[in-house]
Amino acid sequence: MVRDVQNRMTERSDDRWILSVGIDIGTSTTKMIVSRLRLMRTSSVLSLPRYDIVERELLYESPIYSTPLKSADEVDADGIWQILAREYEHAAVRPEELKSGAVIITGETANKRNAKRILHLLAERSGDFVVATAGADLEGLLAGKGAGAEERSLRIRGAVANIDIGGGTANAAIFQRGKPIGTVTFHVGGRLIQVDTGGAITEVSPSIRRWLNASGYRLEPGQRVSFEVLQQICSAMSRNMLDYLAGYASADQEPVRALLLGEPLSPMPPIEEWMVSGGIGRLMEEAKPNGLADTAVHGDIGPLLAHTIKELSSRYAIRLVKPDQTVRATVIGAGMQSTEISGATVHLDESALPIRNLPVQKLEVTPHLLAHTEHLAQAVSQTMRTAAGLFDAEASPPFALAISGLRPLTYASLQRLSETIYESFIAYFPSSGVIVVVCENDIAKALGQALAKRAGAGPKLVCIDQIKVEHGDYIDLGQPVAGSMIPVVVKTLAFHNRVEVTDV
Amino acid sequence: MNRTIPLDQLVDKVMAELQKKLPAALQNAASQPAANVTESRMPSETGSADDFGPPISHVPNAKWAEGVEELIASTPARIGVWRSGTRPLTREMLKFRCDHAAAIDSVYGTVSQPLLDEFGLFTVDTYFENIDNYLKRPDMGRIIRDDGVERIRRSCRMKPQVQIVVSDGLSANAVDANLRDVYPSLLDSLSAHGLSLGTPFFVRGGRVAVMDHIGDIIEPEVLVLLIGERPGLVSSRSMSAYMCYRPRKGTVESDRTVISNIHPRGTPSLEAGAHIGSVLKAMLEQKTSGVNLDI
Repeated sequence: MVRDVQNRMTERSDDRWILSVGIDIGTSTTKMIVSRLRLMRTSSVLSLPRYDIVERELLYESPIYSTPLKSADEVDADGIWQILAREYEHAAVRPEELKSGAVIITGETANKRNAKRILHLLAERSGDFVVATAGADLEGLLAGKGAGAEERSLRIRGAVANIDIGGGTANAAIFQRGKPIGTVTFHVGGRLIQVDTGGAITEVSPSIRRWLNASGYRLEPGQRVSFEVLQQICSAMSRNMLDYLAGYASADQEPVRALLLGEPLSPMPPIEEWMVSGGIGRLMEEAKPNGLADTAVHGDIGPLLAHTIKELSSRYAIRLVKPDQTVRATVIGAGMQSTEISGATVHLDESALPIRNLPVQKLEVTPHLLAHTEHLAQAVSQTMRTAAGLFDAEASPPFALAISGLRPLTYASLQRLSETIYESFIAYFPSSGVIVVVCENDIAKALGQALAKRAGAGPKLVCIDQIKVEHGDYIDLGQPVAGSMIPVVVKTLAFHNRVEVTDV
Repeated sequence: MNRTIPLDQLVDKVMAELQKKLPAALQNAASQPAANVTESRMPSETGSADDFGPPISHVPNAKWAEGVEELIASTPARIGVWRSGTRPLTREMLKFRCDHAAAIDSVYGTVSQPLLDEFGLFTVDTYFENIDNYLKRPDMGRIIRDDGVERIRRSCRMKPQVQIVVSDGLSANAVDANLRDVYPSLLDSLSAHGLSLGTPFFVRGGRVAVMDHIGDIIEPEVLVLLIGERPGLVSSRSMSAYMCYRPRKGTVESDRTVISNIHPRGTPSLEAGAHIGSVLKAMLEQKTSGVNLDI
């Protein structure tokens, strides 16, 4: 599985490659991949430098391991680390070589008692800038990117949904013209109901009980069920999910509501194509189970659920297409698609990097604000006050100030803006040693320069641009590549503000 | 009298008149796109905030409106402008001629003296004599007149680390539109990088290679020339920053580094100014410029 281990480090050629890792610890399986991302200058020699990731090459993919558990509510940290240490060896990479990537803890595993601690431990042991992520929104987006739904959406007019279905949850991410427009998560998964080949229920996950009750099913461990009952359950579950995605069912009705994890999508965009990734996506390609013995090969309802979804989905006016990846969609998304590159004209204090898990507070600088000094001061002060209320004021940095708008901008208004931001930041965060600013437009070097002029020997400055973030996102900032730009991972929560699940 | 009405306003007036003459029924039939045209001011070269508004498709009842908008947003070219029969709409035709006229005006315009005074730039002339001759004889725009050379010798610090020169080149408009942002941003970036600056000045009727003559006179380590670019139909006020390590007579084009297309819809002027400092710093460190410079 190892391809081209030689000559993949960055410094030797003009091409700039960075090694990236993806680790996915799911409800039933754990897997990792190693990839390399090629950075190339995409702006003309006559323009300001701008680099983009132009190629993502998969170098290594691990086998699929069962997620090691210590008990029903505890992940076996040592077990996972042993797997990873072995896989790093097989991939012939050292953690120090990895400049980017993400560890993602998904599905029901994210609810385990020690999930948070494990995630951070793994991220820190796995490389200089490997970030920890969790949260169904991000998981769905990464799987959608890994499965190819994002790219597919650029080739057709309508929206493309990828439903990544694993053991515990189904994460749907919807893309339109290359942009994510929504995510939604369901309690639909192959391992929610565990059953043996004789039809005896061995376990029923607590997260599916509400839906089972609402749909009129009583299932308890030890109980025996027929193949037909399992077929009915899978069929009802799949229909509720697909009806909701297709816009036929509303989240107000009880069985559907019980199936949803977190907030429903509103409004539901019309979908033109859908695809299914994850373990269920792979099972869809295998033979259809005809009885209890075929169904329970993995000790759960997975194969039956897969084929039920496959058959049901053809009844909708939405095309079912094949994903690029099935069971590895999330890990490939995490390893290859989670990283962005900032603009190449930025202002960096290298000693402040890397920065992990920085919450984002947004400031929209409209032409009106730029024209009215007192309004600008109010808006900036308001943003700082909100941030001071939400985040740890002692932290360095406490948050990332995301600035959008800023066009057109004159030298005079840039000076005014940087003055206002600096004064306000110092007033609200007097003991913070780092200011982080993320701009949407290509202005970071000029803004950073203007802020640095004011900061002097005071707080360190990291001012980057050409990264789009939203309120409630978390970002990770890596160490500079080629001295002039940094890898950035945006952990989006743009669709629902479920801070509790993503506060990792 | 003609000189007192800016072209784009004239176009707006003509459009308003045409709109009035349309029978009300026809106006309704013409549907939304036509109505948008009169409400929104035409994108013009006057530097108003309208320049940055989202591009508007004029295709009526497009089969895929979002797709047309995506295409329009991807290019400054005149697409999705619609037609009347086989001919362009009056509005598009006027806009085209307006842009063309603006391009010509830029070449024949002069840089605002108060702007030069604001930054304390004195003026020297090349041998260009007049615009017509300047266009015919590029070589004459590369040599500073003797009295200018005298003035430079008298006023400028010799052998500075960084020499800044501003010139109108083919678009005086470009200097008027961008200097106020590029120049102070550039000065900030020089001081942030700890680079020392010579005495800046303005060259009237300059060509890019006037850098070589100035290099011979002042002998700077690096020279940056902020000069108006040949205007086009997209922008008539685009500026370039040409940079060279030790420019001298005989310097070849490949030894010059350039950041071009500096205008409100192109390379952002503030960011360009801030970046020029880093480029100059790299030139001083690597003692080279142009294709040999590694940045």
